[in-house]
Amino acid sequence: MITQMRVKGLIFDPYNNAYIVVLRDEDNSDMLPIWVGKSEASAIGLALESVTAPRPMTHDLMRSFLDTFDAKIISVVITDLNDNTYFATIHLMYEDSEYTVDSRPSDAIALALRTSAPIFASEKVIKKQSSEELEQWLENLKPEDFGKLDT
Amino acid sequence: MDAAKQPDTSSELVALSVKQVLDDGNTDTRIVVLKSDDAGVTLPIWVGSAEGNAIRLAMDHVVTPRPMSHDLIRSFADHLGVRIERVVITDVKSSTYYASIALASKGLHRTLDARPSDAIALALRAGCPIYATQDVLNRRTAVHLDAWINRLDTNNTETQQA
Repeated sequence: MITQMRVKGLIFDPYNNAYIVVLRDEDNSDMLPIWVGKSEASAIGLALESVTAPRPMTHDLMRSFLDTFDAKIISVVITDLNDNTYFATIHLMYEDSEYTVDSRPSDAIALALRTSAPIFASEKVIKKQSSEELEQWLENLKPEDFGKLDT
Repeated sequence: MDAAKQPDTSSELVALSVKQVLDDGNTDTRIVVLKSDDAGVTLPIWVGSAEGNAIRLAMDHVVTPRPMSHDLIRSFADHLGVRIERVVITDVKSSTYYASIALASKGLHRTLDARPSDAIALALRAGCPIYATQDVLNRRTAVHLDAWINRLDTNNTETQQA
């Protein structure tokens, strides 16, 4: 079972000096936070805000690589969570064959946003993520913790 | 020889290797130092810290637990049967360097526009050659460059030891 997720936003986590990509499912019942580094967050932030950089950024290059050979991203899936490391797969269609490529969620999401491919999360990941704990954590965040992403 | 009759060498390619990635003092940037194979020419390119780290990881043959962004591009190439043939630093305009990545798949040749940092990070992972056009090398900021880099290198070493 997989659930389609949307990127709801990016939050700066001052305690870990990292960023959190917040994914939510369509009916807002499940939430999946993914901790990413600064450059990964910026790759996602640029796509969320539809900012075109003067020079192609790494994920723009990825996209043009796939476009050049008419390879299409069908979907990306956040598949597993182990010791706070998330795993993802990118599903590609190329010359009538499907390929599954192992990836970090940050790369998968940055690429999905640039290609309008749907983002899914496996049930396993959503279950492992105790949302109660997260919501408590989110409630403790101060307003100034939001919107600190340098772009 | 009459200057007018000299062959135009500006588009000729010079093979380069990545010698090191230096920290640039107070700013959050890295300097990728490329040298021609006979070490006669040095080309420094300023890149962001994330890009510099991506190049360092490849230089040190570090295998990260999870694939980094350029490992992912390499993995796309492997899955699709695309060969990364070479990367070329093609141009410099107002201190911004431009690069291209040459790809081949089943007789099909394609070139992608890229930042040099991505091109170099990918070249090191694909084991393909890195070139710069003679024109780019002619126009690089060449004044006392080697002395400057040597000094920076010494400073870096001292900082690391401290």
